[in-house]
Amino acid sequence: MTVELATRLIDVLGALLLFTMLVILASGQLFRAIYAVALQAVFLGIAGAVLAAATGNPDLWVIAGITIVVKAFVLPWLLIRVVRTVQISREIEPAIPMTLTLIAASGIVVLAFHLNASLGPVRQTITGNALPVGVTLILIGVLVMASRRKALVQMVGLFASENGIFFTAMAISQGMPLIIEIGVILDVVLGALVMGILVLRVRSSVDTDIADLESLKG
Amino acid sequence: MERTQHIVRIATETGLLVLLGPLVTGYVQKLKARLQCRRGASLLQPYRDLAKLLRKGTVRSDTATPFFRAVPALVLAATVTAATMLPVLWAPSGPALLPVGDSILLLGLLALARFLLAIGALDAGGAFGGMVASREMTVGLLVEPALMLAVFSVAVAAGTTDLGELAARRDSLAALSWQAPDLLALFGMLILALAETGRIPVDNPDTHLELTMLHEGMLLEHSGPGLACIALATHVKQLVTLTLVATLFFPPGLARGLAPPEIALALGAFAAKVLLLATFLAVVESSYAKLRFFRVPQFLGLGLVSAFLALALRVL
Repeated sequence: MTVELATRLIDVLGALLLFTMLVILASGQLFRAIYAVALQAVFLGIAGAVLAAATGNPDLWVIAGITIVVKAFVLPWLLIRVVRTVQISREIEPAIPMTLTLIAASGIVVLAFHLNASLGPVRQTITGNALPVGVTLILIGVLVMASRRKALVQMVGLFASENGIFFTAMAISQGMPLIIEIGVILDVVLGALVMGILVLRVRSSVDTDIADLESLKG
Repeated sequence: MERTQHIVRIATETGLLVLLGPLVTGYVQKLKARLQCRRGASLLQPYRDLAKLLRKGTVRSDTATPFFRAVPALVLAATVTAATMLPVLWAPSGPALLPVGDSILLLGLLALARFLLAIGALDAGGAFGGMVASREMTVGLLVEPALMLAVFSVAVAAGTTDLGELAARRDSLAALSWQAPDLLALFGMLILALAETGRIPVDNPDTHLELTMLHEGMLLEHSGPGLACIALATHVKQLVTLTLVATLFFPPGLARGLAPPEIALALGAFAAKVLLLATFLAVVESSYAKLRFFRVPQFLGLGLVSAFLALALRVL
């Protein structure tokens, strides 16, 4: 695969990642956000495969495979299971209005791309727009975490943010050592498990919402 | 000589859009019915409805001013003029001889049609009219700038806002082939097309006399030939929106000359693109519920932000 083709494919996949991120941000329903984050992981895996084919780095194939299996299937399945078990309402309640978060998101994108212009030396031939796209995904993921009341949606935000970190790392360094990548994925799985169990426990013992924890402040 | 030829081309293309408009609506209705396991009305039903309306008499509200009578004709005129802007079969071979083809003018004319409809609805003095007009303008407020942004994101790359030239350049220049911003603009455009054609997540074209309706509510006070004009304008607007998407994002297939095989190919390509997009409309309409009106800005906000990002990616 030529470098030019790889750059173009990474660019297109970056746009798809951005779009799925926007869908996560704009979705009013929990399941749609979960499906969107799963789709995002699939695109991320494809990006990994493209980079693997372009750079000839065998580790990247492994990482792309793990990404698709874990992030596109296992984690969303876990989330959906938790949603089904706790039977919460499937509407996402934003803490700040949805339109405001969308405006903030477009601001973030412009900022990230503007920032990218000043990071000339870091940009490499193959990665194209990967750096600003990755930064955007990370920041919008944080925005999702900050602007939603439900713990499960915050988890979706965390996964999306993580996808951004992964995308940046893959594209910029053209594959980190395999052990680090696997460690990061394990971290995410563990985090998801802990948060899932926590949500289940909190729900079963006190039947509460994350927003209610606010009243515990002294 | 060349000028006459140009005029004939534009007239043919516009005529095609106007004549096929109802057919596309019929196709969407038919496909929707099939997806719901119904047999559905014939593909030609919209034509029959139009013919029926043209034979009927007109009833007008007592409070309506004479301007109300002009509204249907003006709406149809604005929409058909908008249709002249689109390259349907032919890509322009040289510099434009007539000042038709500008995408900004196209969007402006569609906005004018929307404005006239809303004014007509207010003018008739019905309770529904005022409510629905305000809703329609709210949707318009979100859709129109977003459509502009999506069109600009393509126009910036092509260096022209002339749709025919834009499609031709896009078709021939490799540098303008599919890039990341196009993808975002296309997604944004598909979301906006749903709103612009008055389809389900935003508006329900099948409903009459319901509190949720947008477009149909503005037609309540119209009747007879006037209603036929507006219905035809709605069909044409739908096809214009679909053709705009096709022109911006799937330009291949435009004919360069007048040779019959070339024209047949262009017709086939046009039909395929429109069928694809109309199928998209029908599938979305069958698989989603209508959004609550206060949720609509959120849905359209997604389109707006996508279009904005497409432009930002292109410029930055």
